[in-house]
Amino acid sequence: MRFGGSALSTLPSSLPSPLVLSSCRPPFLLPIFKSNNFEKICLNEFNNSKQKSFDVLAGFPEDSASLNSPMSSKETCRAELLTAVRQLEERCLYSASQWAGEQLLGIELDPAKFTPSNTRFQRGSSSIRRRFRTNEITSTPLAGVSYVSTPVMEEDDVVDGYFYFAKSCFMCREYRRAAHWLRDQNGKKAIFLRLYALYMAGEKRKEEEIIELEGPLGKSDAVNRELVALERELSMLRKNGSIDPFCLYLYGLVLKEKGNENLAQTVLVESVNSYPWNWSAWSELQSLCTTIDILNSLPLNNHWMKDFFLASAYQELRMHNESLAKYEYLQGIFSFSNYLQAQIAKAQYSLREFEQVEVIFEELLRNDPYRVQDLDMYSNVLYAKECFSALSYLAHRVFSTDKYRPESCCIIGNYYSLKGQHEKAVMYFRRALKLNKRYLSAWTLMGHEYVEMKNTPAAVDAYRRAVDINPCDYRAWYGLGQAYEMMGMPFYALHYFRKSVFLQPSDSRLWIAMAQCYETEQLHMLEEAIKCYRRAANCNDREAIALHQLAKLHAELGRSEEAAFYYKKDLERMEAEEREGPNMVEALVFLATHCKGQKRFEEAEVYCTRLLDYKGPEKETAKSLLRGMRMTQSGFPSMDVEHFPP
Amino acid sequence: MAGILKAPGVFSITPHKVSVCVLLQVYAGPNQLCIPYPFSTVSQHNRLGLYLLALTKSCDDILEPKLEDLINQLREIWTSEDWLTDHLTSRLSSLSSADDLFNFFTEMRGILAGVENGVVEDDQIILDPNSNLGIFVRRCILAFNLLSFEGVCHLLTNISLYRKEVLSGHVPYEDELVDSGRDIESTTDYENMDLENFVYERVTEEIEAKRRAGKKIPFHLHASRTLVSLVEDFKIPEKTKFKESCKLKEASPYQASMDDLFKDMDGVFLCSNWQIQGYLSQQADAIEKECNSLPLNAFELILRQLESLAPELHRVHFLRYLNCLHHDDYTAALENLHKYFDYSAGIEGCDIASSSGNNNFGRYEVALLYLGMLHFHFGHPKQALEVLAEAVRVSQQHGNDSCLAYTLAAICNLLSEIGITSTSRLLGSSYSPIASMGTSFSVQQQQFMLLRESLKRAESLKLKRLVASNHLTLAKFHLLHVQRPLLSFGPKASMKLKTCPVNVCKELRLSSSLITEFNTENSVMMIDGAQSTAWLKQLHKLIGSSVFVDESSEIRSNADSFFAQPSSVPGSVLQLVGSSYLVRATAWEMYGSAPLARINSLVYATCFTDNSSSADAALAYGKLIKHLATYKGYKAAFAALETTEDRFMSVSKSQMLMLKLQLLHEHSLHRGQLKVAQCLCDELGFLASPVTGVDMDLKIEASLRHARTLLAAKQFSKAAAVAQSLFCMCYKFNLHVQNANVLLLLAEIHKKSGNAVLGLPYALACLSFCQSFNLDLLKASATLTLAELWLSLGASHAKRALTLTHSALPMILGHGGLELRARAYITEAKCYLSDPCFSVSENPDVVLDPLGQASEDLQLIEYHELAAEAFYLMSIIYDKLGKSNEREEAAASFRTHITALDDPQDETNEQYN
Repeated sequence: MRFGGSALSTLPSSLPSPLVLSSCRPPFLLPIFKSNNFEKICLNEFNNSKQKSFDVLAGFPEDSASLNSPMSSKETCRAELLTAVRQLEERCLYSASQWAGEQLLGIELDPAKFTPSNTRFQRGSSSIRRRFRTNEITSTPLAGVSYVSTPVMEEDDVVDGYFYFAKSCFMCREYRRAAHWLRDQNGKKAIFLRLYALYMAGEKRKEEEIIELEGPLGKSDAVNRELVALERELSMLRKNGSIDPFCLYLYGLVLKEKGNENLAQTVLVESVNSYPWNWSAWSELQSLCTTIDILNSLPLNNHWMKDFFLASAYQELRMHNESLAKYEYLQGIFSFSNYLQAQIAKAQYSLREFEQVEVIFEELLRNDPYRVQDLDMYSNVLYAKECFSALSYLAHRVFSTDKYRPESCCIIGNYYSLKGQHEKAVMYFRRALKLNKRYLSAWTLMGHEYVEMKNTPAAVDAYRRAVDINPCDYRAWYGLGQAYEMMGMPFYALHYFRKSVFLQPSDSRLWIAMAQCYETEQLHMLEEAIKCYRRAANCNDREAIALHQLAKLHAELGRSEEAAFYYKKDLERMEAEEREGPNMVEALVFLATHCKGQKRFEEAEVYCTRLLDYKGPEKETAKSLLRGMRMTQSGFPSMDVEHFPP
Repeated sequence: MAGILKAPGVFSITPHKVSVCVLLQVYAGPNQLCIPYPFSTVSQHNRLGLYLLALTKSCDDILEPKLEDLINQLREIWTSEDWLTDHLTSRLSSLSSADDLFNFFTEMRGILAGVENGVVEDDQIILDPNSNLGIFVRRCILAFNLLSFEGVCHLLTNISLYRKEVLSGHVPYEDELVDSGRDIESTTDYENMDLENFVYERVTEEIEAKRRAGKKIPFHLHASRTLVSLVEDFKIPEKTKFKESCKLKEASPYQASMDDLFKDMDGVFLCSNWQIQGYLSQQADAIEKECNSLPLNAFELILRQLESLAPELHRVHFLRYLNCLHHDDYTAALENLHKYFDYSAGIEGCDIASSSGNNNFGRYEVALLYLGMLHFHFGHPKQALEVLAEAVRVSQQHGNDSCLAYTLAAICNLLSEIGITSTSRLLGSSYSPIASMGTSFSVQQQQFMLLRESLKRAESLKLKRLVASNHLTLAKFHLLHVQRPLLSFGPKASMKLKTCPVNVCKELRLSSSLITEFNTENSVMMIDGAQSTAWLKQLHKLIGSSVFVDESSEIRSNADSFFAQPSSVPGSVLQLVGSSYLVRATAWEMYGSAPLARINSLVYATCFTDNSSSADAALAYGKLIKHLATYKGYKAAFAALETTEDRFMSVSKSQMLMLKLQLLHEHSLHRGQLKVAQCLCDELGFLASPVTGVDMDLKIEASLRHARTLLAAKQFSKAAAVAQSLFCMCYKFNLHVQNANVLLLLAEIHKKSGNAVLGLPYALACLSFCQSFNLDLLKASATLTLAELWLSLGASHAKRALTLTHSALPMILGHGGLELRARAYITEAKCYLSDPCFSVSENPDVVLDPLGQASEDLQLIEYHELAAEAFYLMSIIYDKLGKSNEREEAAASFRTHITALDDPQDETNEQYN
């Protein structure tokens, strides 16, 4: 708990999708890692784009399954991915290529064809992980989903020295040079690479300008100056009909950046329908799907990549269970994919299954020790569980892997925060924000730190920025509410709590926070508080605050029946979880008195007897209660307590 | 972030500043001549100097003028030839490498009277390094020297972009782009606009938007035009220029989209922080004044652009809030309010803060205050009270006295506007002086104490506006409530259960003395940037009138306006003073002086409508129209209504709509169209908010009218039941003035139902209410009813009835409306007629005169029932007198009225429904 015992301090916000994230890093900070980060797009060689078979099996909904056996589906996937990796890499779409490669490795090899030594390095053997795997849908694909058959693209056959030289320039991050040498090339691959290089050049310049011209409040009007020219050329290409899926992706990217989101959506859909393996295109598309309606209205072909897309979109839309189901289904094919594991961890994290998240990440780190993506979530879990040494170990590890990544800074910030060194934590969160201004969780976490430091205006500011980046970030709304509550403005804070509860109605902590707000002495709106606690009790309230409070409030309002009901429930729960404490005593005392009042002496006796196990004034109360009951029952005043064991 | 306090603006060198430097070089070039080369006269030289001075003063900018604007302005100033602009562009284009820039700034050093020269020759025009222009040059040079090489490169590219926008309007490929580009752009504008707000938008606006779309006018053109017409009241000068700028915008979308907002203002450059602040506050006033002229989305679009331009200008969010508020968009208003206060922490750009002059004023308690007002506006009294109570608590906690004073005033307003039966829980817990005195007080007593507390605070804090508005609220309080001693135990020595009109007058006078105090106060009270916009207007006027009649004097006056403070009284003060006149009018209405009420509303309507909110103005006009209806008949009233209706129709909770319904109801009641009347009064009832305690006036009005309709339909018991329940409600909410009316209505009901004995106590009760609240006209009318009641008890009471009628006549004849007067006349005549001692033949004029008057008046208001009665009486009298001709005439009139009553035609009503 960061402060005041209120429950939410352990809520770091979710990560933006890794691809988007990495692209925001100023490249000059990391001269060593030249290859990735910047390459949103990869290219593949479908210059003639004669996609031979592009037939959507008529009728989306389930008819004949084209994949008969799981194994064959794995084989198709593998074959497709293998081509895709090469094609994407050819076009310098490195991060998409990386993604595809990761999935490729994630496919389980057919044990019939490979000896155990081949599979030795694949993961999944850990018994712990097996234990936690929830359901065993290992490899049956969802029955009856028909997939689009694989489009095969023909490659440019004329690939000359210019292209390879340009490509190597691109790899050395000399984008303008690459574009220059491709200026007269007419192959599709060359056209794409030229445009993409231009785009990258613009991006690079933009990043530099942001740093050079940084105004107050991080205001910067730096824009990618190539966008206009790119848009013109790409729209021409599209009009001519000579555009390939990769250029479509680039076009979508440009449109999105120019703010023309509808057209961007259309173009991206075209792109992924004709070439589904470009994960970058999918994730751009996903960032445009801000509501479930938009998502459902997309005319997407049924390819297995769509499942990845849907899963990640569901996650962004906070439909965690749906997302988890999709991921678990995908795990049937890509059993060993790190990406899938991380995503599952993310979904579990959102469902607050911290134990599972921890196990998954341990596993992940064992298999892929230098992976930094998504590790900030792991650090959040460690933070919540107050694992000092594990968190410091993690921080050290990412620090030595790549210290200038927003995630790394975030992890270090979390560590300092756990240590109570809030100034340092803020410094690291700030660094994370410097690396990526739109890094949501850093804003939120920084808000938490400011709250800790009692600098509420700064906290409000930080939270507000998070909310402006993503208005669905319920943690930031919650933080705002918390900050205002701290300032003694509970009624004002309610607005924010309402927002956060609206976005995440299944989180008991939010309801409890809201209830506590209603309960404050200034407001004292107990009826509303009761309603909130009831909601909290209905959604898996782990700390069992809600039940206790419900009982107490009812008792306070003189509704002893309801109070007794909730005390009893609370008691049962404490028994089930083997917890003891003042709450237990309180419940027992109340129930004993209540039952006595209701003339249910036997029940009352049970409670009193249990109370006798405790020390303190309650024991005396129990004794006197018992004595009183004896008296009324037998009418015999001389009955003594000595009959009962102390 | 810790970014609560803004970093002070950095003076950085920009292309615009380079141009100014070029001009400065021309102005103060190291020439040996008295007048340097390009200038022919001294005044020409001076004019450029003044212009440059103005430019340098506006250099703390968010956005700078484009080269095009600059050139246009130069052309206006430099009427003779284009030398200057040519020089400027050529000089700019000669800056093609970093070294050129270095040389340029080294040259700039030459125009300063340097220390190294030592001697300054008399003839030489050289800038004093400590003058305004000199400082500007020095700052530019310094800023340039501080630049890193990257910075110099940026400057170079910026200069070339800046220059290109003027020169390269016609690069070949740009043309083909224009089409597609425009399509895309306009669609995006549309979509962006629609996404969030369309849902909440009101139907009318939707229709409007559709119509707009149907006309195929690109949206941004439309928006900009409204903007222009709002910002300044000048015409868009040249269409061609305007189009040109649009084209340019598309040619280089990125540069242009940044500032098309400003470009669209065509010539006016709105750039400094102050100016934008000024623009915003101007808009805020405009929203309040006439929100109907400002479509929600158009303004929203402008604000969004502003926001992207200047993210640190949080006031934009506030304007958005205002915009949504006045367009009744609750969710968006709430959202924007919170956003504004989250970002600004209640410090930046808060009018209360600037007027109180208290620097550490305002943290989040201001947010609570505003939130309270928001809830109040939308008719959520419970939330409003809750929030305001919290505001009281927080401002006490933070020791923010002025906010506390404002909050208390807001609570008072809330209490006086909204009927609340018991505030004990809400205020008892929050506000200590009251809490300590216990909850045994009535709501009014609490309210009175709060008012006095708030007044005391406001006085000690010297919040003059607040003092004035508190006096106003106190006046209202004195008007409506009998003051009782606060401690009611002990012998009730001198309890005078009467309102005190003197107090009302005193408070009113105190409140309007604000305006005199204002002369002594200087422009500290001025809202930020108001001057800047005034200055802008001046500049534009100057440029607009391209012919200078008398150059030197024009310039001088212009120059004066650069520095002089406009001495007019701020709008908010005028508004307050205006509302004191409105209160006056209402007070006189209640006390029963029709001419005074009318004069006060007239004063308001003529003098203060410019500065008032449209709701207030509508109220004043409404009063005037009502006056017309009661004293001149419906025809005149409807005619007046028609002319004013358009102006106020879109005001939320429109006064005009209510007034129209009221008038129509009355009219149809008089003409006997009961079904229509019932419809109208139901409609009136629907206008009121369903929340208890909100819109009390409207609710009371509606059920009064309902009872009256039932009465006219002769459903006495139902009418009585409605009136009874109304009485209970008024009693519950302590609305005694309204209760007097209800009592009179009850008396009326019993009179009509033939139960005169039952009616008497009601009439007497009404009289005593009228006495204690000084409702003179109502008292006269109650006396009249009393007389009628006595009269209906039998002829033996005719004398008494006559005396009563006569006692009421002076008041009624002096101030009563047509209907009341007619009733009085008829009653008088009836009294005489039923008096056994009175003989018609002796002095027929005693009865005929009043009856004649009454019939005239009644025909004017088309009150068929009473008119028929009058004619009936007349014909009987004539019959007695044996004047058969007159008798036939009167009888015929009687018949027309009776048939009209039985068979109502409703042509006029069609027109208004």
